[in-house]
Amino acid sequence: MKITPDIIRHEFINIETKVCRKPQASYAKISGKIIDETRNTFVILHKGKKKTIIKDLAIFQFKFSDGTIAEIDGKLLVGRPEDRLKRHVRRLW
Amino acid sequence: MDADTKRIAAQRIQTLFRLAKEIFHENPSLAQHYVDTARKIAMAAKIRLPTEHRHQICSHCKSFILPGANSRIRIKQQREPHVVITCLKCGKQTRIVLRKKEEKQKL
Repeated sequence: MKITPDIIRHEFINIETKVCRKPQASYAKISGKIIDETRNTFVILHKGKKKTIIKDLAIFQFKFSDGTIAEIDGKLLVGRPEDRLKRHVRRLW
Repeated sequence: MDADTKRIAAQRIQTLFRLAKEIFHENPSLAQHYVDTARKIAMAAKIRLPTEHRHQICSHCKSFILPGANSRIRIKQQREPHVVITCLKCGKQTRIVLRKKEEKQKL
């Protein structure tokens, strides 16, 4: 997948992810597939258990199906899945 | 709505329906959630759901239906050949008229 600002408009369900910045100890070493998404949270299947991660607090490392790895700040991903589709972000890098 | 948004929306809808179909037998409520999201995305981007996906949603109760699991599909010859899809959740029926391509062009 091409790394452009448009990446935040794509679907994140069923993508392998790892939580990088941990605001609290319970977020440490959480990784797995995203199975659900709400406005403010991702639900990650970590070792067979569902973990709810607040988007605003964490930094996520996504591994897309073609092997591309991208690290995205969760602040940019806040928003309902259908509203994220129309989000435009100025190029930050 | 620009073409780029519509393209991304179409991709997302495709993905969500594929996942819903894969997960349906293990977790029907999660599959339903995926399909609801897909519908919301289509409405937000102002695109029509593809025909194959439109027939996987009950047009009355909007639930995700799979033939053999929670829907029944029958072909009928009365009046005009048509397909009847019965949702086993709400019990309502949807009819799709079968016409040949040439006949459709004439109309």
